[in-house]
Amino acid sequence: MDLDANRSLIAAALARIPGGDKAALQTVYRLTSAKLLGVALRILGDRSEAEDVLQEVYVTVWRKAADFDAGRASPMTWLMTIARNRAIDRLRAGKQSRRMDPIDEALDVADSRPIADGALETSQDNARLYGCLGQLARDERAALRGAFFDGNTYEDLALRLSVPLGTMKSRIRRALLKLKTCLEPNI
Amino acid sequence: MSDTSAHSGMPADELLAAEFALGVLAGAERDAAAQRAAREPSFARMVAAWEERLAPWAAEIAEVAPSPALWDRIAAALPDTPVRGLKPSLWQSLTFWRGLTFATGALAAACIGALIYIGNIPRLAPLIAAIDGGGHHHFVATLDAGSGAVAVTPAAFAADATRVPELWLIPADGRPRPLGLLRADRTVTITIPRDLMPHATRDAVLAVSLEPQGGSPTGQPTGPVIASGKLTLL
Repeated sequence: MDLDANRSLIAAALARIPGGDKAALQTVYRLTSAKLLGVALRILGDRSEAEDVLQEVYVTVWRKAADFDAGRASPMTWLMTIARNRAIDRLRAGKQSRRMDPIDEALDVADSRPIADGALETSQDNARLYGCLGQLARDERAALRGAFFDGNTYEDLALRLSVPLGTMKSRIRRALLKLKTCLEPNI
Repeated sequence: MSDTSAHSGMPADELLAAEFALGVLAGAERDAAAQRAAREPSFARMVAAWEERLAPWAAEIAEVAPSPALWDRIAAALPDTPVRGLKPSLWQSLTFWRGLTFATGALAAACIGALIYIGNIPRLAPLIAAIDGGGHHHFVATLDAGSGAVAVTPAAFAADATRVPELWLIPADGRPRPLGLLRADRTVTITIPRDLMPHATRDAVLAVSLEPQGGSPTGQPTGPVIASGKLTLL
């Protein structure tokens, strides 16, 4: 699949939404809903909750498409951020259990190859991030993974990985700094 | 803003942006970061940059096809047009709102009611609060109960050299929830967090306190509450 073409399709459809074009929203839905449902489902662990979130996400996209700036953000990142934030808000508001099982090391970056993903970033961005994640210590990567994929808070992660809260905060902050330095060495 | 966290070696603001984008914050910390992202373009840019940095990781997440009925549910839930609220030009006109200072709360409510009629008619009736103190309307707030967007316009509020006005929602339980910082020179629109929306009902109170630059450091008002008003129907 041509990655840039897909990105352009999503961006072009988003640009038509503020004029009230429901077919454009449906195009965005067709191109992105399976990915966004995967994101929400991973955080919430419940299909019906995740579909409720997806409904909120596309209604939000309908209302806020005018806020999307194609010059500044990737359309898929913008959409995924809305989906993650909605799913996390629902997770925090609800009573359902958070993912507290051991963080899946089988999918750890050390063993997995970057996956090209049509709807998402270019494979180049993908390889760069994986390269930098690979330079983190294993416990740092596990903590970031629990936060990014499962929507864990600092407190969740401290419990899940059995370390004091302060240790977990330092670990994540250190990992974030390393990640930024690696991704943007000139800054 | 240039202070650097001892733990991370990153400026404090950027660290907060990274933590918010990653999703590790909870409760009042998460709400406060979301509010900053909504009202501070420089902070929003830092959050967006971190979202872009992390986004490629999501390539690992398997796609899951939604139920066939989901699109129909979404299509049925869409408002007719994506345009939100009123035209910003009139909505944000300071001259217009300053004029309201001389009106009574009831007259102000009537004006806003008329404006809403001229513009789009929201699906849920908006709530309004005249945020008064010392005999003045300091701010006028209107809440779109559908979207949770509360637009707060300064009326007779005079800026303080060292402190900034912060908006609080005080529901029936009496505990103030921080909503965000206001401006003396223009309308600020704040989206009430989803989990607070059940509290943003008729008779809940909107209050304004004076806080240090950047807002209350504790999540509760630390400075004087200078004005307050109940949310009422138009």
